[in-house]
Amino acid sequence: MTMFNRTDKAGETASAPQPAPSTPVEVKRPQAYAQPIPAAPTPPSVSVISKALKITGQLESTEDIQIEGEVDGDVRAISVGIGPNAKIKGTVRGEQVQLSGAVEGKIEAKKVVLTRTARMSGDVIHQDITIESGAFIDGHCRPEFGKSEVKSAPHKPVIAASNG
Amino acid sequence: MPVPQFRDKTRPPLGREAGALPTSQLGAAATVTGILDTDGELTVHGSVLGRINAERLVLSERGTVEGDVVAKDVHIGGRLNGRVFALNVTLEPSADVSGRIFHNTVTVARGARFEGRMPWRPTSYFEALDQLPETQP
Repeated sequence: MTMFNRTDKAGETASAPQPAPSTPVEVKRPQAYAQPIPAAPTPPSVSVISKALKITGQLESTEDIQIEGEVDGDVRAISVGIGPNAKIKGTVRGEQVQLSGAVEGKIEAKKVVLTRTARMSGDVIHQDITIESGAFIDGHCRPEFGKSEVKSAPHKPVIAASNG
Repeated sequence: MPVPQFRDKTRPPLGREAGALPTSQLGAAATVTGILDTDGELTVHGSVLGRINAERLVLSERGTVEGDVVAKDVHIGGRLNGRVFALNVTLEPSADVSGRIFHNTVTVARGARFEGRMPWRPTSYFEALDQLPETQP
């Protein structure tokens, strides 16, 4: 009898919790959507073109660019650094250009620095130029930056580009 | 050590030299119109209008690419409109992609937006991928 009683009791206790789920239970959902989005770190504005990168086309930035690779096309930025192994075929425009590599084309910048490893084939249009001993230049250096249409028509880049 | 040519078949697979990949970065203020061809890793915070060939491409949350991408690994967190040819593709929750993703393995995070098709291709397809196939736009 005791055994039956026990089993009966066990059955009762087992059946007892059954009605519980029918009672309204607050379902806890993962509230992933409610979590605050972590503030995205401001992406770096400086561009780095590594030695393994080749760009065919236009490269433009309103910040700084450091080029160690190859660019076949025009480059425009505020400050352009061209590393010793870099090669550029095209026009480099900027406020400041520091050339240690090779440019075949043109440089138009307010401040131009040609280091001793620089190889420049083409004209340099500048306002302020530094040429270190050992730099190679095949072209004209003209202190005409700012006198051309580049500065006079900053709001019409299309016209400026067609004139240049 | 000479820089290996892009997609050199004799080069060891990505995982073995992942730490040594030359890294390029396109800043948030930068725009490239044309072809970006690299042997290493490229992180795009800015915008690219054209084509990207890379070992590994990371498109950050603010980055935008309009055009085709060929790479081994692609992580997309930004906007991409075009085709992707990559062995491993990951769409981050912030991704907004429309186009086609030719892949071998793909991961799409919850929240990512994708419109288009994701055709699966065997590994051999990507190894032989020297020219971009002319699929219908």
